[in-house]
Amino acid sequence: MAKGDTGVRFFQGLLILGNVIIGMCGIALTAECIFFVSDQQTLYPLLEATNNDDIYGAAWIGIFVGFALFNLSVLGIIGVIKSHRTMLLAYIILMLITYGFEVASCITAATHRDFFTPNLFLKQMLEKYQNLEPANNDDKWMSEGVTRTWDRLMLQNQCCGVNGPSDWQNYRSVFRNRNSDSEFPWPRQCCVMDVQGIPVDLDGCKLGVSGYYNDKGCYDIISGPMDRHAWGVAWFGFAILCWTVIFKS
Amino acid sequence: MQDCWVVLALCWLGQLCNLRPQIANPKLATNNPTFTTIALEKPFCMFDGLQSPSSSFAVYLYAMVDSAISNDKPLNTTFQDTSGGQLGPYKAASFNVPNCASPPKIADVANVKKISEVLEQYLFRVGDDVTCLYDPNFPDVCNPPLAEDTTYRFKYLLVDVVAGIVKEQTLWSDPMKTKRLKQSSTIDTWPGRRSGGMIVITSILSTLMFFLVVGFLASIFFTVITRAELTTTKCQTPFE
Repeated sequence: MAKGDTGVRFFQGLLILGNVIIGMCGIALTAECIFFVSDQQTLYPLLEATNNDDIYGAAWIGIFVGFALFNLSVLGIIGVIKSHRTMLLAYIILMLITYGFEVASCITAATHRDFFTPNLFLKQMLEKYQNLEPANNDDKWMSEGVTRTWDRLMLQNQCCGVNGPSDWQNYRSVFRNRNSDSEFPWPRQCCVMDVQGIPVDLDGCKLGVSGYYNDKGCYDIISGPMDRHAWGVAWFGFAILCWTVIFKS
Repeated sequence: MQDCWVVLALCWLGQLCNLRPQIANPKLATNNPTFTTIALEKPFCMFDGLQSPSSSFAVYLYAMVDSAISNDKPLNTTFQDTSGGQLGPYKAASFNVPNCASPPKIADVANVKKISEVLEQYLFRVGDDVTCLYDPNFPDVCNPPLAEDTTYRFKYLLVDVVAGIVKEQTLWSDPMKTKRLKQSSTIDTWPGRRSGGMIVITSILSTLMFFLVVGFLASIFFTVITRAELTTTKCQTPFE
């Protein structure tokens, strides 16, 4: 290929450098996806209840792809140093397969990210929150998860509903059917609590007196981490792929 | 007589006087009306100068569905008697005449210690009591939940409790409607237009994948062809 010995050396060095970068990217991708899958905000029950957790699938693929990229870069470096033809051929074929998987992961994450609309979570909240008469065991599991997650979310983040407390007032819901409107215009978690976890003023909360109920919605808190992570999985994967392509050609 | 006409005309034009029940200040009670309740401002200074010190007075609140006809009914007509206000006004509450001299200050609701007192003095929530309808021994005036998506009117009466006669009354309030709830099944969860990022990622990655596969296949193809040529020409030079 190269005319002189220095040319070959230079080319080899370039290949090794590229492989080192790919290996590091692989490790980083694995780390990022593990962070996503570990679900720091415990939002997974909300996703699970939508019957579509593709983004977790994408993250899992990302974990393995990242690891594979790291291993392949090691293989590539050894292959380049030894100038071993079969090894390099195996490297290229495996890289192509890994690349295919990462493309899939990336596209899935990017596509699924679009589905995180406020309405998706709103509908699910209205239909699943406090639902004690689930259709089957699966539904029961999801309803419990959704109820638990919402109770915690609203209490911890001082938010209420998806868009705001009016979500509980504008729509029919399982919660509405189970509780009287005058007593529970919205769940108690929407009230501003004192240190003991008792509403500061219950009547004020029920009437919606500002300062006694939480008037902001939880959508940002739900979609924030999910969106960010999905963005990471998608665009970081994309960047790695672009780099790999540039480097290979 | 002329004064009265002036007042009435002013009321008609800009509702400058409080001669009819008003809905509670929407800046204070943001969640009002709800689907079964309506919070009303108590009649401050409406019955001024009518109370003689010798007798004791109370304010009675009456409610009826907008379409009902306000006919003469006994003072103690209940919710059940009028099937929830559909047949005529029913007595929803009875409370002391609000103090005109020192009305509660709305700004005080910010104070945690004062809020319950202020709310108690300032407003009355119609439809607040869920249980009294099912309690046969309920002693007080029952104030059960209103019907949803229904227009109501309200009226305050100043009653001389000792003599049991009506001393004064306000006009019927403007119609107030309880909320109508939307079905959760009507919520559309379709995300609509796709984001630019998704389109960019999908299209570029698909194209790259295509070129890579084509390139790989092409290189294999050429290798095989070159190999075949090399073997046919019996050339022994190693392929580098």
